[in-house]
Amino acid sequence: MLSLWLGAADQGLAYAGLALGTYLTLRVLNFPDLTVDGSFALGGGAAAVLISQGAPVPVALAMAILFGCLAGLVTGLIHTRLGVNDLFAGILTTTGLYSITLRLMGRSNIPLPETPAGIQALPDLGLGIDGQWAVALILAMGGLILLISLLLATDFGLSLRALGNNPTMARANGINQRRGLTVGIAAANGLVALAGALVANYQGFADVTMGIGSLILGLGMVIIGESVLRPRSVPQALLAVVLGAILFRTLIAIALQLGLEPVDLKLATALLLLIALAFGRLRIPGLSDQGRLQG
Amino acid sequence: MSSVTKAASSSLTVAKLGWGHPLPGGGWRQLFSDFSLTCPAGQFLVVIGSNGSGKSTLLNLVAGTLALADGQIHLGNRPLHKLRDYQRARWIGRVMQNPLEGTCPGLTVAENLRLAERRSRPARLIGGALIGMLGGIHPNGADRRRYRELLADLGLPLADRLDEPVGQLSGGQRQTLSLVMATLSSPDLLLLDEHTAALDPRAEATVMALTERLIRRFGTTTLMVTHSLDQALGHGDRLVMLHEGRLIGDWSAAEREALDPPALRAMYGTAIVAPQSSSAPDGSSAS
Repeated sequence: MLSLWLGAADQGLAYAGLALGTYLTLRVLNFPDLTVDGSFALGGGAAAVLISQGAPVPVALAMAILFGCLAGLVTGLIHTRLGVNDLFAGILTTTGLYSITLRLMGRSNIPLPETPAGIQALPDLGLGIDGQWAVALILAMGGLILLISLLLATDFGLSLRALGNNPTMARANGINQRRGLTVGIAAANGLVALAGALVANYQGFADVTMGIGSLILGLGMVIIGESVLRPRSVPQALLAVVLGAILFRTLIAIALQLGLEPVDLKLATALLLLIALAFGRLRIPGLSDQGRLQG
Repeated sequence: MSSVTKAASSSLTVAKLGWGHPLPGGGWRQLFSDFSLTCPAGQFLVVIGSNGSGKSTLLNLVAGTLALADGQIHLGNRPLHKLRDYQRARWIGRVMQNPLEGTCPGLTVAENLRLAERRSRPARLIGGALIGMLGGIHPNGADRRRYRELLADLGLPLADRLDEPVGQLSGGQRQTLSLVMATLSSPDLLLLDEHTAALDPRAEATVMALTERLIRRFGTTTLMVTHSLDQALGHGDRLVMLHEGRLIGDWSAAEREALDPPALRAMYGTAIVAPQSSSAPDGSSAS
């Protein structure tokens, strides 16, 4: 039983980059970014290709982040330079990314049989390989939360937060909206691609379809985290989002344990989010109607 | 306090301005044609006019939130018409009509002040992450002390609310903050767009008194648009009246003293009901 909870926690931590990226675009930048479905698979695919060709895992993770940033950059440029609607910009990039990821991988699925040596070298806390993964992922996510918290507390981060909060005011205070959005979306997709790479490593394979439903997954994690912790500051919000990712995966583990068929998981996730949206507990820019339809 | 003690001012020159917009039912309305206006350095210019007269449009064209069709706008010797709005913000402070628009409600008072303080040298966004980290956390303790001193010096109770989200402030407090923010980095030009229109009389009086103090303190060239004849007759070094994109009145402070308020009201009223007015039926207009 302990192994079930630990496995769920590990998966949640591996997915936490997706939740952090979703938080950055939706909550900080106020931008509903559908690129994440494509950049998650791109990150997983890129890391799997590199690792299977002998590249060190840290290099593969760094390249996955870079590829994710490039994917976000494309969406940002399509939206800010070509004036394409935010949702369509993400859909366009994600659609293109499917082919790009498939080209990169050469086939739809790449197995990664061995747990990375770096993970195996870590203390297992008496919990075996799951314990080693937990140590590695807690260190990684702790570092990420610290880094993003610091970044968002600088003038650079303040500018991004102002853009999401009141773009008119941000522009009136000298902030380049196009550039800020593009940089923010790129960074968020870098985090999402990192999550894709970590998940591929954890589950032992990368699949070209692994990103389907990532936005909904990320949203679910953000909602759960914010509902539980009710954060009042940026570091608290980031912590809540990571906690949300762990809780979300734990809920899935419980659902599976209770007999939910794996094939129904995405439907269950979608229904959960729909309930949250319908009851007005969650306002998502571009995804929530501002008022009820008349007539 | 260092960032607010420097007196800065430049003349504003609007030359041969041309601007129009399509009408909802088709057709075109040319609001400004060959419009020119000069505001000398340090002058507090009040602009009045009825709905659709073009006063807010003029402010938006100067700020760069509307693109110029023809003509030139210079601030000192800087060609503003060649710059985007966020680039012009380096020299221009703006207070908007809606208290919700001029501040970031999700950020704290101190964070809003920090943004305004950095207006003349905003954070770089390309490569900004690294530079931002090297620049450290802001607003920090030193920033807060500076803001507290500034707000206390101005006699504003906001000094004790630096770490509260701006969304928790009243409309008057937000507009007061917006005004302080607009003048914080010693702009060369201050644009006030009916900035007391959404306030109750008490808050209006407070904000106008602060407006007058800040403008006189820094000697900032100021363009204030208002619908209030009381404000127009009681504030500023010069008063101009617009109607349908044309200048129909221009009075110095001394000349304004001699103006007969009822006559000015009548003139203003005439402009409102002018049959040529192309304001939309619902009262909305380019202004």
